[in-house]
Amino acid sequence: MSFKMLSLKSTALFSAALLSIGALGAISPAQAVVDCTNATADTDTCTVLTINTFGDVIEPALVSDYKRLHPEIKLSIKKSDLDALNGTGLYTQCAAGGAGSPDIAAVEISYSGFWRSYPQCFIDMRTLHTTVGNKTANDIKKDYLAWRWDQGVGYNDNVIGVPTDVGGLEVAYRWDLFKAKGLPYKRDDVSKAWSTWPKFIEFGKKYMAKVSPADKKKNVGFMDNAATIYAAIMNQGTMKYYKNNGTDAGQLVYKTNPQVKLAFNTTIDAAKAGIGTRIGQFSSDWNVGMSKGTFAVMLSPAWMMDYIKGQAPTTNGKWDIADIPGGGGNQGGSQLTMPIKKAGMPNHKQQAWDFITWYLAPDQQLKVFQIYGLFPSTPSLYKDSDLVGFKDPFFNKAPTGAIYADGVKKLKPIFEGKLQRCIDMAMGSALSLVINGKEKVSTKAFAKGLSDADKCK
Amino acid sequence: MSSVAKVQAKPVINKKPKWQKMGPAGYIALVLVTFLSLFPFYWMFIVASNGTDEISKIPPTLLPGPRFFTVVSHVYEALPQFNQALLNTVYVGTVVAVAQVFFSAIAGFAFAKLNFRGQKFMVLFVILTMMLPSQLGIIPLYMLMGNLGFIDSLNALIIPALVTAFGVFWMRQVIDAQVPNELLESASIDGAGVFRVYWSLVLPIIAQSSFVLGLFSFLATWNDFLWPLLVLQTPEHFTAQVAVNQLKSSYAIDYALNMGGAFLSTAPLIVLFIFVGRRLVRGVMDGAVKG
Amino acid sequence: MSQTAVSRKTNKPASPWKPAKPPKKLNNPGAVLSLNGKWGYLFTAPFFVMFLIFGLAPIIYSVYIAFFNWDALGTQEFIGIQNFVELVADDRFWNALMNTIDIWLLSTIPMLILSIGLAAILHNPNLRGSTFWRTILLVPNITSVLAIAIVFGQLFGRDFGMVNLVIGALGFEHIDFIQGTTSSHVAIATMIVWRWTGYNALIFLAAMLAIPGELYESASLDGANKWKQFRYVTLPSLRNTITFVLIVGTIGGLQVFAEPLILGGSYNGGDSGQFSTLTLFLFDQAFVAYKWGYAAAVGIMITVIVAIVSFINFVITRRLAGDGK
Repeated sequence: MSFKMLSLKSTALFSAALLSIGALGAISPAQAVVDCTNATADTDTCTVLTINTFGDVIEPALVSDYKRLHPEIKLSIKKSDLDALNGTGLYTQCAAGGAGSPDIAAVEISYSGFWRSYPQCFIDMRTLHTTVGNKTANDIKKDYLAWRWDQGVGYNDNVIGVPTDVGGLEVAYRWDLFKAKGLPYKRDDVSKAWSTWPKFIEFGKKYMAKVSPADKKKNVGFMDNAATIYAAIMNQGTMKYYKNNGTDAGQLVYKTNPQVKLAFNTTIDAAKAGIGTRIGQFSSDWNVGMSKGTFAVMLSPAWMMDYIKGQAPTTNGKWDIADIPGGGGNQGGSQLTMPIKKAGMPNHKQQAWDFITWYLAPDQQLKVFQIYGLFPSTPSLYKDSDLVGFKDPFFNKAPTGAIYADGVKKLKPIFEGKLQRCIDMAMGSALSLVINGKEKVSTKAFAKGLSDADKCK
Repeated sequence: MSSVAKVQAKPVINKKPKWQKMGPAGYIALVLVTFLSLFPFYWMFIVASNGTDEISKIPPTLLPGPRFFTVVSHVYEALPQFNQALLNTVYVGTVVAVAQVFFSAIAGFAFAKLNFRGQKFMVLFVILTMMLPSQLGIIPLYMLMGNLGFIDSLNALIIPALVTAFGVFWMRQVIDAQVPNELLESASIDGAGVFRVYWSLVLPIIAQSSFVLGLFSFLATWNDFLWPLLVLQTPEHFTAQVAVNQLKSSYAIDYALNMGGAFLSTAPLIVLFIFVGRRLVRGVMDGAVKG
Repeated sequence: MSQTAVSRKTNKPASPWKPAKPPKKLNNPGAVLSLNGKWGYLFTAPFFVMFLIFGLAPIIYSVYIAFFNWDALGTQEFIGIQNFVELVADDRFWNALMNTIDIWLLSTIPMLILSIGLAAILHNPNLRGSTFWRTILLVPNITSVLAIAIVFGQLFGRDFGMVNLVIGALGFEHIDFIQGTTSSHVAIATMIVWRWTGYNALIFLAAMLAIPGELYESASLDGANKWKQFRYVTLPSLRNTITFVLIVGTIGGLQVFAEPLILGGSYNGGDSGQFSTLTLFLFDQAFVAYKWGYAAAVGIMITVIVAIVSFINFVITRRLAGDGK
């Protein structure tokens, strides 16, 4: 933590930014001359570090910071869709012996179990040492939530990834729309009113009762998509499709784990109650609906807050954050990994490791939280006044830091197994059959989900 | 069943028989088709120049807005290498087009005009392979490219595309239909070698068709996205389609940005089409099965 | 680009230069015999070498792994035909097959009717600006599927898509194109129809222009009206062209892939696989389930299906051609 002590921890975000710019002024002119903005390949002065990522795992403000700190490094960032990145991309690259591998690749939590079973595809971070401080993966392990760290440890105990954020799950809601419909709208009242999922569904029904028929015809609903409840409930148990039996691979329990059925049935109850708009998340209608009030509630992992701000800037101040029914939950988060590379490709192990350790250090995670809302995976920050005291004006000055910190503390570590993503998709597809009315009998859909999940093996 | 015909259009058209009148209904249908054909391009521009909010109003804006250059600058902000991507695409497309025409024409000539053992079998083989879904081999091909060190290089797009069964087949048809045997025979009896005959007699005749094949190869290369997406890693090596997909992939779906990118990646094709559209039309019609 | 002609090298007038005594059996009846055939090997060699390495070898390798439980990053175990046995029992495969056929029908039939109709309009010798109209028809064909799928995806949006705004303005309920089975097929078929109608209209136009004008004149002298001329002169002459367009459309249609991929944004073909197609299923198995052996088996099944359908088409073509003579 010495790095952190030296830093600008106690100052607020903007002064921190100002100071770092000030610090730049003091950098020797020789360094300032280096300009690698247009570098496309390594030169004598420039190193091009390739990063494959999705969404906003690598945040632009921090990229600018790094450019100031290390003008000799050019970060070349390629974004892909999640499955294309963590599936097709990494898989083909590893199968081709690391041909085409980037220096750094983000691996999302739903794929973490999968890649843990193929540690040979990644560089073991225990073998790397930072330029400053000579730290290996073993040295920084203590900074991170233990269960998040374990998601980046291969079956052979190699450290293959360092955790980015924690996707602590809460609920974002439009307090203005709640108020207009005569429902509780203050965050504590709301949290209390929907303390359990059945109560949440009841709440939604009350909301729907106040929606005019004309609006209903326009597909106005209580929440964006009831199907999202499934993942939330799954993430609230102690296990999902796997049981942690002490082995690396875990034990498949999706057929017997009652949590699966509970999540499935509750989701269908919610859908049948008609509280969701059935808009697909990340579709165009979803983006538009977010700013138009087509729905008033979204289950919101911390990273979703930035998404709402970006997509619905006109709703500034009209959102608030309440506790998720059932309490706690995690959705999303990634590890930054370093895939193996084929012999003869540029070797940037040192630069990549230096970047990863910088980017995911508590200081930088705090900054990411303050600017973008992604919740840190470094527990030392959970008591930090900059985090706990942070109030987000966009969310009606909700103390988002404190709310998400509480939620994350309640989290029980869940074992993510190899076939997590595949089984999730099979179950999601079965849910969708019922929600979209293609299968009337939910037990039949459930059975189909399980049998499709069998085919993942 | 007839073979690929030479252009037979002109004489028929020139007759202008009076057995049909052109009523307004026909023109209305054509105007409608024109509208439907062009509307998606127009819509790209509308969204790119207005922003997502404007187009999701009811009723939506149907006129170009003032934000086009803002959106374009956003595209370049999100992907500073967009111009590079367009250049890369032109480069790959041109190399592939030239190579395909070259290899297809010479092989097509052999299949059409030379008599050698196994010719029949080879032609059959070419036809059969056209039926194979190319996606079937994509994984081993990737591994092969890896072994050759072509991953994340434009070579990975060029090398596997240098020859296609379709190109060879098409050229065989063209040469068969357009080059009269008598011409080649008289030349060869006068002592010209096979290559000489090909070079100075066949090539000039099939120049037009070669150009069309080249254009279609160029367009196909320009529009391909699955394979490039798989093998290209660094933004400096992207092609136009990968660049557009890149804009699409951040999970904030910004329709103005997406459509701006789509528009920028399509505009060069439209410009190209203005110059070569008529030739392409002729090429398509020349290659048609008639009767 | 798939304008090909299926040609046979018969009925060529005998060349006066041909040797009086033809060799026992010609490998290539249309060849110029005074040219040294040996050059054929050299001329076709670059194609075959490149094609074998980069086209055929990967496919053959895929066929090989179809008989394995193939984990490219782990172990490979030979399992005989078990992949195929499982595939035949896999309802996701049949779902993908039915979707593919449905999309194929929904796109092919309207496309045939529309393109023949358009060709008939363009065929009219009194049409003004015919070059312009023909050129416009080809515009959709040159655009990338990616760009077009972005546009159509937005146009078919449930709440704010242009199509639904029109449907809503007419007083109907909005259609959730992506979520519905048939409606998503309609959306995908629309993209295909949009892309290929003009192209095929040009093919039909070329065929119509090859019909001797005298046929129409005599039909018109016999008192046949426009419709009858079309029905009894034009259509019968298009039989082979229709078959050809059908074959090409079938090969493309059974491999439909890019449109549903971009519309749904992933390989699963919609939340409940409502527009999963055969090729998408192949990719889903290869890159979501990581079962390369199984995916390869899907690929082989696609090839077999394409071959069967093409063979049926071929037989029909032979028969039609036979009828014509």
